[in-house]
Amino acid sequence: MQHVKVPQDRIGVLIGEGGETMREIESRSEVRLDIDSESGSVAIESVGDPVTALVAPDIVRAIGRGFKPEAALSLLDDEMRMFDLIDLGDKTRNDNDLRRQKGRLIGENGRTRELMEELSGADVVIYGSTIGMIGDPEEVEAVRRATGMILDGAPHGAVYSYLERKHRELTSGPDLA
Amino acid sequence: MSESQEDKWGIAHVFSSFNNTLITITDLTGAETIVKSSGGTVVKQNRDEASPYAAMQMAETVAEEVKAAGIAGLHVRVRGPGGNGNKSPGPGAQATIRALARAGIEIGRIEDVTPIPHDGTRAPKNKRV
Repeated sequence: MQHVKVPQDRIGVLIGEGGETMREIESRSEVRLDIDSESGSVAIESVGDPVTALVAPDIVRAIGRGFKPEAALSLLDDEMRMFDLIDLGDKTRNDNDLRRQKGRLIGENGRTRELMEELSGADVVIYGSTIGMIGDPEEVEAVRRATGMILDGAPHGAVYSYLERKHRELTSGPDLA
Repeated sequence: MSESQEDKWGIAHVFSSFNNTLITITDLTGAETIVKSSGGTVVKQNRDEASPYAAMQMAETVAEEVKAAGIAGLHVRVRGPGGNGNKSPGPGAQATIRALARAGIEIGRIEDVTPIPHDGTRAPKNKRV
């Protein structure tokens, strides 16, 4: 039994039209979701195989952090896919700094975030004070590093060239091995 | 050791941080270690010790030895660094449990035993990601 908090405006997404999304999570990961739409707290209880139920809290958390249900459910497609979350509130000094860094992470018209997704292959979502990513471990690691660089004040150009390099590494990896 | 086969259980203690993964299989009392393994036994580079791939390989070798010891099922105790550090288990934890299950070992209860401070020492100052 585990509890996950979901913000008020994501509860509708978590449940889905007529409970569709909720039922899909329940059947595919063999859990029972008990959603309290007043407080936003979701109780996750495993009903079947405890191993498949392991990812359920991550799926709920991902939807709560702004991911589309399809992206969150892709965690079930492949064993290696993982979800990672960075709390920008911890890494920034105050509200003003948070807004500035979020702007830097998103980029002009969302360019930076889009490039991070395109070059790494992971799904990247910035919502509230968090940046979340779903993808293979190397992809997530690349986005994590890139985020760290931007938060450290690196110029966007340096981050793009890091991501380009990673992109080449990730795409040419299997041929060498 | 192997008189009452097929119904013997053990405990898999999985400690998973961002720098390493440690797997220790004990009997139900937790006092007798049957197998143990860590990231460094399967990878060369230090930074790969915590990777899910390393965890999977470790789990496979561990599973073999566990079966050889006549144990059919394992309860799992996952643990992250805890204390004033990171509360969630690292990337190796899930991979370990899945690999154990796939190697034909029955998985019983999964428990999170990350130490949670009841307000202990001061948290380290913030590092950039």
